[in-house]
Amino acid sequence: MLLKLAWRNVFRQRRRTILTLLTMTGGFFLSSLSIGWMDGSYSSIIMFFTNNRTGQIQVHHEGYLEDPSIYSTISDYQMVGAFLDSIPGVRVWAPRIYSGALLAVRSPGAGSGNVFSNSAAASVIGIDPAMEEAATDFSDRIVLGEMLTASAADTSYAATGQIILGKELSIILEASVGDSLVMLSQAADGSSADRMYVIRGIISTGNADIDRNTCYITLSDAQILFALQGKVHEIAVMTRSLGAVDVLTGDISTGLSGRDLETDSWKTFAVEFYNGMKADEAQLKVTIFIIVLVAAMGVLNTILMMVLERRREFGVMKAIGTRPGFIVRMIVLEANIMGIISVIAGSIISTAGLLFLSKHGLVMDPPLDYGGTVFREMIASITPECYWIPAVCVIITASTVSFLPALKAAHTKAAKTLRTV
Amino acid sequence: MTDNDVIVAEGIVKTYDDSGVPVHAVRGIDYTLEKGEFTAIIGPSGSGKTTFLNVLAGLDTLTEGKVWLSGKLISDMSGKELSDFRRDHIGFIFQAYNLFPVLTVEENVEYVMLLQGVPPIERHDRVMNILEKVGIAEYANRLPMQLSGGQQQRVAVARAMVSRPSLVIADEPTANLDSNTSGSLLDMMRRLNEDTGMTFLFSTHDEIVMRRARKIVVIRDGKIDGKPSSEEIQ
Repeated sequence: MLLKLAWRNVFRQRRRTILTLLTMTGGFFLSSLSIGWMDGSYSSIIMFFTNNRTGQIQVHHEGYLEDPSIYSTISDYQMVGAFLDSIPGVRVWAPRIYSGALLAVRSPGAGSGNVFSNSAAASVIGIDPAMEEAATDFSDRIVLGEMLTASAADTSYAATGQIILGKELSIILEASVGDSLVMLSQAADGSSADRMYVIRGIISTGNADIDRNTCYITLSDAQILFALQGKVHEIAVMTRSLGAVDVLTGDISTGLSGRDLETDSWKTFAVEFYNGMKADEAQLKVTIFIIVLVAAMGVLNTILMMVLERRREFGVMKAIGTRPGFIVRMIVLEANIMGIISVIAGSIISTAGLLFLSKHGLVMDPPLDYGGTVFREMIASITPECYWIPAVCVIITASTVSFLPALKAAHTKAAKTLRTV
Repeated sequence: MTDNDVIVAEGIVKTYDDSGVPVHAVRGIDYTLEKGEFTAIIGPSGSGKTTFLNVLAGLDTLTEGKVWLSGKLISDMSGKELSDFRRDHIGFIFQAYNLFPVLTVEENVEYVMLLQGVPPIERHDRVMNILEKVGIAEYANRLPMQLSGGQQQRVAVARAMVSRPSLVIADEPTANLDSNTSGSLLDMMRRLNEDTGMTFLFSTHDEIVMRRARKIVVIRDGKIDGKPSSEEIQ
């Protein structure tokens, strides 16, 4: 009887109920879309950021992240790599060496003499060309020239090394493909680390800050130059699924325990990036709260109107022996029936919207610059959160806003109401 | 108080103070209603008839005095106890019918039994039985808005009686009905009173109702002003 009464009461004033349902369904739809959109955007940004550069997991010597010293190396990286290869969730890994150096470009008119003009300090990253290509599709971002080759495979670079410059760095140095430059640095054994290089390519990673001060040489070259034979500073791990990163980080950390190594996920080694995303998430929560609040006002208005209109009816119910609790349950149930209908309708509409946005996405024009990384298209993703969060919000809102009017109705004074209404 | 008394009221006073100005609606009434009576409370508008019925039924609190209904002191009951007591012992018929518009005739009539926890089959049998008696069984599946005023009031009578209460209280039951319909409704109520022995107490200033009452109580200015017979009224 309670359900029957509540159900029929909901549709007594069809026009008003439909308007309320539209408000609630709209709230669900907007919340769902916002969550799907943000989830999709975050996933895209994280995957773009980590796949193109950092990897989702990194292995370093203990303490390297806090104090990135040239001496903090992974000495048996091939063995670590073999372990990583044995983990099913790991797609590929890439070893790297990091150091700093001064680069000076050989003047074009210097003939056979060593006259250098423009110079700049730069971060030097030693990469294994094949493994880096497999991990980050490195060559896709080379805008001029070509990818590094393994030193031994290309004898034309045997005498001088091969180097790839970030696009902005090449502009600062006024250097281009084919130009020569000298790198001056210090090796791990204290000796001077200097070598001539020919610029083989120019890269644009999408992050101008990185491209302004970064150059790339082969791993084997870096190991010789910085006296780090057989060693690396970092192993970047690419996983098969973003959702599995936390579990994999734990697994790798456990597997490498006792080796003075530390394993971190992108949330740790790219903490500023991660915090930026968390801040965006907080903004999303505020947005959803505002949407829910607007919908709640609509529901509250409807429930108040319903209660006001039916005061006499509540008086009669009380008079003939209906307990207050029955009336409270009935009104809260009425609000929840509207909530459930909105959730069902909202889910259908949201699925259509999310499917569209997950297939077609939105072209960002102008492109979105997120932490220096540029995104040209954003797509939505369909996750359980797109449904359960708005659903819970709608049901809680319906229950909450209906409770006070329900209490008021339940405490209707039968005699007074029948006398005055 | 005897076993034959349905209502015993002692020195009941009801004063409203809603607007800061005390209004003395009932000013010290002693009253006894016996089982099986078919009694009309009459009096001019504002004389306190409705308030008198409300305090007797426990719908309104007393300012002073005591009321026993079916041997139970209801003036000291809590809200919840009163609610359950009304559900089980009193049937109400209102001037404006006050049926639930979203429930069918059958559902309206079975509502109180549902609150009482009567099993579905028994509920259905009792509903159909009472609807037969009030002559609207054929409209069992209609909504109240699909019925005339007289038919709606018959449903209200059925709703008031179906739970077999000790007392049926009717506040101006014919106020919204034409004279023919009023007459036939009162005839029906009187017949039910005779058939079932159920006690009826109703307020009215409708002459048709007064003529059919077996007892009449006159209230003026919140006090009982004598008990003339229906013949005297005529």
